[in-house]
Amino acid sequence: MDLTFDHSFVKVNGIKMHVAEKSPSVVGNGAFDGVISRPVILFLHGFPELWYTWRHQMLALSSLGYRTIAPDLRGYGDTDAPESVDAYTSLHIVGDLIGLIDAVVGDREKVFVVGHDWGAIITWHLCLLRPDRVKALVNMSVVFDPWNPKRKPISTFKSFYGDDYYICRFQEYGEIEAEFAKVGTERVLLELLTYRNPGPILLPKGKRYEDPVSLPSWLTDYDVKYYVSKYEKNGFTGPVNYYRNMDRTWELMGSLSNAQVKVPVKFIIGDQDLTYHMPGTKKYIENGRFKSHVPLLDEVVVIEGVGHFLHEERPDEISKHIHDYFLTF
Amino acid sequence: MEHRKIRGNVIDIHVAIQGPSDGPIVLLLHGFPELWYSWRHQITGLAAQGYRAVAPDLRGYGDSDAPAEISSYTCFHIVGDLVAVISALTENKVFVVGHDWGALIAWYLCLFRPDKVKALVNLSVPFSFRPVDPSVKPVDGMRAYYGDDYYICRFQEDGDIEAEIAEIETERVMKRILTYRTPGPIIIPKDKSFWGCKDESIPLPSWLSEEDIAYYVSKFEEKGFSGGVNFYRNFNRNNELLGPWVGSKVQVPTKFVIGELDLVYYMPGVKEYIHGPMFKEHVPLLEEPVVMEGVAHFINQEKPQEILQIILDFISKF
Repeated sequence: MDLTFDHSFVKVNGIKMHVAEKSPSVVGNGAFDGVISRPVILFLHGFPELWYTWRHQMLALSSLGYRTIAPDLRGYGDTDAPESVDAYTSLHIVGDLIGLIDAVVGDREKVFVVGHDWGAIITWHLCLLRPDRVKALVNMSVVFDPWNPKRKPISTFKSFYGDDYYICRFQEYGEIEAEFAKVGTERVLLELLTYRNPGPILLPKGKRYEDPVSLPSWLTDYDVKYYVSKYEKNGFTGPVNYYRNMDRTWELMGSLSNAQVKVPVKFIIGDQDLTYHMPGTKKYIENGRFKSHVPLLDEVVVIEGVGHFLHEERPDEISKHIHDYFLTF
Repeated sequence: MEHRKIRGNVIDIHVAIQGPSDGPIVLLLHGFPELWYSWRHQITGLAAQGYRAVAPDLRGYGDSDAPAEISSYTCFHIVGDLVAVISALTENKVFVVGHDWGALIAWYLCLFRPDKVKALVNLSVPFSFRPVDPSVKPVDGMRAYYGDDYYICRFQEDGDIEAEIAEIETERVMKRILTYRTPGPIIIPKDKSFWGCKDESIPLPSWLSEEDIAYYVSKFEEKGFSGGVNFYRNFNRNNELLGPWVGSKVQVPTKFVIGELDLVYYMPGVKEYIHGPMFKEHVPLLEEPVVMEGVAHFINQEKPQEILQIILDFISKF
């Protein structure tokens, strides 16, 4: 499977980034050499995933003529994971992505972007900070959450869901990593990737993971092995550090207070996604507030019966949504 | 003149406001170690011409809040404060005038929030890009070029310069800095010789009165210098955080003025940058930079009427 993707390493924003690419081959035709333009889609994964989560979309969309590019984000997979816990704010990650677009596409070029989970959060920020680099966006699972001076993230989560809420449990440096190590990488990944409860993820200390986990149809043994191999090598610290920087990012994003996302957007979410059931989200989408912050929000798609990892659960449907939308640009 | 506190970015920012309530807003941003007061001449001049002059004490200074943590003084925190000030006063874009740190912050305000700035007059500090590769930290670069006693290097260690200043009268510190006219780097050796002898009085230029000095002294004695110095302690951190704006341009019409004797004019690469093609490349709407003969760093206090006129002439075009 790996063989059908091109892998490279790019120096961006002070780190070395691993990038997977699947692009239609440019067959020289004399007069047309170098002139064929292939629109670029940048795919941004979430937690606890990797570039690999986009394999289906990359195969489908590259065969339709797109250059598809999926990095491992900072801290993940084969990309560098800086030691310092405070090197994982949105500004760091967006800086990486600007460097990536400059290096792999061109320093005046715009790209299409597809984001999911943390990749969606980062993409909202990418669009706020550098709308000049994003042609259009398909974002999934996590709505745009405008900056609020009265809502510091971690204390807000604590007040909604309590200390056992996974994001609260992720805060103390080294703590959840030690617990995950006891449970085992494969078991942790399986628990998270197969999570289908529309409620919040609660991880009380000493929680036992004994019930057997059966793989859903959309996750093969090979897929699991791939994820496990990367997470066993690097551990969870890099990815978890994103959560440890939610308050830091919030402090910095006061500078973008009341800024609108000025990029055309299609938003897709599964109605079994835990994010869809977070307090206020449904109303936020339905009563027009989402659109007031994202004025170019062209379409919101709620897919019935689909959970958090919607692009893995319904790959063809998602690929079609992406292609149909980007075709209009 | 009205004095108000505005809160929007978690802390209170003190602003001095003068001018008709429907006048176009001109936001005036001071540098180090100054206050809203540095703009006293321009404030009254702008108000007399129908503008609404708004001069904050930046975070850490004067009557604004000064959070204890050094990490609360990145350029993002300060721009966040100014976005809150602007949003509290108007939904429209504003004119911005910056000097020294205020100029640097103004460049960032234009980069992050071009939706908030109609036009910019910046004094003393030209735009500078985050390099593509952030692995050389700015302060390390300064240390390599100027040595450990360079003022920015001396400002780095938490509490260090504060302890030194505590042993010298605040009045002497203010006078020494505000009258600095050497067209070269500020080097502060650890023997405190930079501050001069206690018995040697520091004569004031015509544009600075004992009352002016007394105002600065009263505020800095109350607040201390940590707030302002903390801006410098975030040079390296800012550099880390500015990755998203590599390659970005300042898309705001800009007028830039610097004094011929300003120490900034003699920093490595600055003259070449100001007079070469790159400044205009990075700030496409930049008017021809102005170098004011015989004028040093504190240009808006040294040549208040000239600076006021430059501001009025420029912003009247928009």
